Order: sequence, then C-alpha cells, then structure tokens
Amino acid sequence: MNISKSGTMIIILIVAVMVSGFYFVFPDRINAEPEEKIFVTHTGGIVKTSGEVLDPIYKISTVEFDPEKYLREFNYGRVSTTPEGKTVREFTIIAEDDKSMEISPGVFYNVWTFNGTVPGPTIRATEGDIVKVKFINNGSKSHTMHFHGIHPAEMDGVFEFVGPNGGQFTYEFEAGPVGVHPYHCHVMPLEEHIVHGLYGVYIVDPKVARPPADEMVMVLNGFDTDFDTENNFYAANTIPFYYQHHPIQIFTDELIRVYVVNMVEFDPINNLHLHGNLYHYYPTGTDTVPSFYTDMITLSQTERGIMEFEYDYPGKYLFHAHKVEFSEKGWVGIFLVKENPKFVSTGVEYGS
Amino acid sequence: MEVNKTSKGKLLASGLVPFALVILLIAYIFGPGGELLELGTPLPEITLEQVYFMKGEIQVSVRNSGPIPVEVVMADVNDRIQPSAIEPDRFLGRFETSLVRIPFEWNEAEPYIIGLTIEDGTRFEKEIKAAAPALEPTGNLIGFFAIIGTYVGIIPVMVGLLWLPFIKRISKAKYNFFLAITVGLLLFLGIDAIEEAVEVSNEFLARSFNGALLVATVVILSFLGLYYSGNKLVDRAKSSPYSKPAALGLMIAIGIGLHNFGEGLAIGAAVGLGQIAFSTFLIVGFTLHNTSEGFAIAAPMAKGKPIIGKLFAMGLIAGTPAIFGAWLGGFVYSPFTAIIFLSIGAGAIFQVIVAILKWIREEGDKGLSSASVAAGIAIGMMIMYLTSILV
Repeated sequence: MNISKSGTMIIILIVAVMVSGFYFVFPDRINAEPEEKIFVTHTGGIVKTSGEVLDPIYKISTVEFDPEKYLREFNYGRVSTTPEGKTVREFTIIAEDDKSMEISPGVFYNVWTFNGTVPGPTIRATEGDIVKVKFINNGSKSHTMHFHGIHPAEMDGVFEFVGPNGGQFTYEFEAGPVGVHPYHCHVMPLEEHIVHGLYGVYIVDPKVARPPADEMVMVLNGFDTDFDTENNFYAANTIPFYYQHHPIQIFTDELIRVYVVNMVEFDPINNLHLHGNLYHYYPTGTDTVPSFYTDMITLSQTERGIMEFEYDYPGKYLFHAHKVEFSEKGWVGIFLVKENPKFVSTGVEYGS
Repeated sequence: MEVNKTSKGKLLASGLVPFALVILLIAYIFGPGGELLELGTPLPEITLEQVYFMKGEIQVSVRNSGPIPVEVVMADVNDRIQPSAIEPDRFLGRFETSLVRIPFEWNEAEPYIIGLTIEDGTRFEKEIKAAAPALEPTGNLIGFFAIIGTYVGIIPVMVGLLWLPFIKRISKAKYNFFLAITVGLLLFLGIDAIEEAVEVSNEFLARSFNGALLVATVVILSFLGLYYSGNKLVDRAKSSPYSKPAALGLMIAIGIGLHNFGEGLAIGAAVGLGQIAFSTFLIVGFTLHNTSEGFAIAAPMAKGKPIIGKLFAMGLIAGTPAIFGAWLGGFVYSPFTAIIFLSIGAGAIFQVIVAILKWIREEGDKGLSSASVAAGIAIGMMIMYLTSILV
C-alpha cells in the first residue's frame, strides 16, 4: 500500500531530475539582449546579432600597419653625390623581434620587423646609384639583410651575422639590376626569420625612367599564427581582406604599375588574377618588354615582377589569388576605378 | 566533566589543524609564494562542443576549457574565413560558453570542419561528418518521437511483461535461472550505458570536465542514492508478504526507466544528427533488445500477487522515459545532459542487479553458486550481446 505512494514519489523525483536537466541544455539561450548589431556576409546577406560581430574588417582607427600608406610609399633615402658624380642613397633600417602586432582584427602575432612594419620599407634607387643601408639590430636574435640583386659576396647578408641588442652593419652596393627584388633576413632557421616578417621590397629603376604611372607595391604574404607550417592568413600587404573593405582607388585610362613580390612561405605557389582586365607582365622587372599579356600569373617563393594595366570602364574590380583558398583567407582586394577627371589634360604622375 | 571538555577541545583541534594548514598553504601560494605559479606558460584552450545546422547558418557552441581567459576572434568553415557573430560576447572566462553564428549556405550530408581562432592566432576545430538540419520541435516531429519512444520503450516492455504467467508456473530452479538471465541482461545494459557515456564525453565534452571520472562519480552516486531509497522501499513493504516482489519489480522498473531515458536520448540524437538509416536499425534493435526489460520486471513480480494495473503502471514507468529521452535528444541534445542521464541509468541498473542477486540468495536454495544462476547470467549477457549487434 505504501508502494504506490513511494512509487509516485519516485516518479515525481525522476520528473524533477529530468526537468532540472533542462538547466544544462538551455543556460546560454535564456539571456535576452536588446541591442542588435548588423553585419554583411561574403555573399551579401545581412545578419543581425545580439552579440558581437567577428569579421576581419579593419577600421582606420585601429590600424597598426596601414596598407593604404604602404601601397604607394617609396623610400629614396638620404641623397648625396660622390665626387665622381654618382648618386648615393643612404637608408637606416632597424630590426626588432619583440613586437606583437594585430595582423587581423583581434589576432595578435609576434612580428619581426624592419623599421617596425611587415613588410619593411620599400627601398628604391636608380640603376648605378650607390645604396648604403645602415642596419641596426635591436632584436634579441641575430639578423641580417640579404638583398636579391648583384653585389659583392660580403654584402650578401648571409655569413655576416649582425648580433642582437644593437649590432650594426652597413650594406653598400651599386643598385642593380633593374627590376623589383625582395630583401629579407638570412639567418637560420631561415623559414622562421622570414615568416615572422623580416622582408621588404627593393626597386631598381632604369636610368631612363619608365613611363609615368600610378605606382604601387604589393607584397603577397601570409601568417602561420598557430605554427603548424600552414598559413592561417594570406594577404596583399599583410592585412587580410584589407583592400576588399578599403578598395584601392584608381582612374580610368591611367597607367597603373604594380610591383608585386611573393613572400608566401609553406605553400609552393601563389598567384594573382585581375578582374575585367589583362595586364602586361614583366617577370622580375628586368626587361623593358613585357613577357606576357595575361590576367593570371603564378609566383613561387620570392618570385616577383611588374604588372602594367589601364582600365577602360569605371567600377569595382576584384584582384585576388586564383588559388581561392588564399583569397578566402584574406588575399583578395578591389580596385575601385573612377572616371578620370583629368583625362583631357596631360597625364599626372602618381607615386613618383 | 572537565576531562570531557578538554578532550572535546583536543578532538576539535585535531580536526581543525590539518584544515588550518591547508588554508595556510593555499594562502601562501596566492600570496608571497605566487612566484611558484609563474613557472611554465599556461596554454589557452577552447572546445567546440556542438554544431547546429540551421537555415543558411551554422551555429557552434564554444567553451573555454583552458586555464586562462580567451577571446574568440574569428570563425571559419573548412578553413575558409567567414564573417560571423558571437553571442553573448567574444570574451570567455574559464568554462564560459558562447554561441558562434556563421552565415553559410551549407549542403546537406556533406562533411564540414568548423574552426575558431583565438586572439593569439591558435585555431581550434571540430569535424562534422555529415551536415544535417537541426530539428525544429514541430507537432509532427513531437508525435514522431513519441511513436518511436513507444516502440522502443513501452511496447517491448509490455510484451516482455506477458511472460509473467509463464514464469509463474515454472519450478524454483528454473525461476532462479530466469531471474539470473535478468541479471545478465541488466549487467550488459549497465556496461553498455557506461561505454556510451564515456563515448559521448570523448566526442563532445571538453577535456577539463574529466568525462570518464564524471561518469564514474554519477554512476556511483546514482547507485548509492537508489540503493538507499530502494532498501527503504523494500523494508516498508515487508509488512505484507506479497508486496516485496512488487517493490523489487518497481525498483527494476525505475532503474530500467532511467536507462530507457538514456536510450531515448541516443535515438533522438541519432535522428537529430541525420543518421536516419542508422536510426531505423537502432529502433528495430532496441525493440528486440528491450523486450527483455519487460521480462526483467516480470520475473520478481511472478512471486507476488499479479495485479494487472500495477504491472501496467510499472511497464509505463520503465517505458515512457524513452519518449521524453527522444524529445530531449532530438530537439535540444546536450552532451552533458546525455552523459549525466546515461550514468544515472547505469547506476540504477547496478542497484537493481544487487537487489535481484540479494533476492535470489534469500529465496533460492543454493544461493548464487547454483548452476542455473551462473548459466542464467551468462545467457543473459549473450542474448544482449547478440541483439546489440543489430543496433
């Protein structure tokens, strides 16, 4: 007779336990948030959320490294002339390896830098100029600067380690050959020194200048933030998706010249596809006659060249790796082509 | 009096001294001895617990399962970065969870790897073998699960109960044999539930929860709790000779009910995860499998006065939880809940085993050492193993 009573008690107990089980199921769904934020997906969808938006959009105010500025910034050095009449260009480059940079919104990575940025400053000289680079290593490891190009063995930055905490070395050589070249640290383990960001672009202009153009530099790079020898991020000029959210503004009927250098590690190739147009391509920039007229080039490590093109029609045009994995991890940008207001007047020289 | 007081004081002191020392030690580590803790670098860790495939959106619940606070900063699908949202926010303290919503036009039955990156650039991922839409609790589905639960829980148990008249008429040795079969069946179910719970914890639960130990703890707590209340129940029933079998039957029914709740969860989750074909098999298997559960309830009841109503009620106690389990598993599957209920079920089953063995020892002539008991347990295990292959 008591059994049925105890039985009901136990049934009630079971039900109570089951109901309390819902606590484990629902805890994070009970919170109601009044404030809603909106974001746009890659396919154009608009999504509302009561929480926070995770989107690799850089705001101008939060930029530590400004791809906008880097794009068209060329450093010609402190210029002087030798008694023989040669132009001397002096640069000071300081290496550091303790900086933590926000390489994508919210993602902090220990970058190793030349003059505080990845990539380092774009060094530009004319063929035959004397280039003097005073290199100071303020890092905690040995570093060097190894320029691609023609120079004496002792200026190659391979065997002359520059010690940490203030070690110095002056690289001096005659600029050449004409073209676009990378420079990077050449201390072992080399992969580590390069992927942390010790690289930059070195441009040698021909003595007879190239035609005036809107010139820009694009270093194709990537970051392996979790050290599994696979890049987590790719970009043109370090910041993933930057030029997608902040399109590069150019004008119709104006010559655009892009110095492109592939510094992506781990992946054997990278490539560059331009939308709505084709470009003349000068591999390594060493020749004045283009080798290709194409919308797609394939680049291996430190492979580089010069692209030249003009847009006929205004509008938005993508450029990106056609290895689309890279573009979906940040290596994608937009040219915003505007109607050229100065088309009727003589050409304006940009970036030089 | 005086002596008593000092000895009491001593007793109290001897009880408190170790406590005081421990408190002192902890205070030292958090205070002047803090340097000791600065050795080594704590590594952040997050666990992607569950992935839900909604219309045009993938949702993933993420828990900070590491020793330090983290910030979730980026989401990806198949290693491709996707703009997304995190609710309520991206800052996760220890054990805190958030829900990441990734707008994504996913394709049914395709595999996906969902990744989340934290502020130091470390990426964590979870692989989904086949995307299946999250189930919405529509009237149709609720009914569907209720029918499945009835098939798996109530019907087989009721069918099993029909063995009662048969068991009633057989000799004592044979009766013990059938009781022992029940023990074998239950033993198998208990081990099965523990295995299932450990599996779920390995797949879904953050390591910091110590899944296997959680299972062990809940199994033992459940066993102890039911053992205590079960004995109370049987003690109270002692006043009338016919109610002890009924009390034992009720205990078995409750234990099996808890177990069936766990089975319901598994079936609901299988449907929820889109393993429909597998689920049909599961239902056929469970139906066969669970007929033996009705038998388990009927066996001790055979000694008592058979009351159809009581028997029917016990069948319901044992069977209906499967329906609730299927609802919960299908609509709001939570690995944590599943582990808890599977473990409670296992503890309940072991408690029932102990109760039946006690019953056999008290009622039987040779106790537990008889050939019929040993053979019964062995056959029970084998029946369960063979029917489990169907599941």
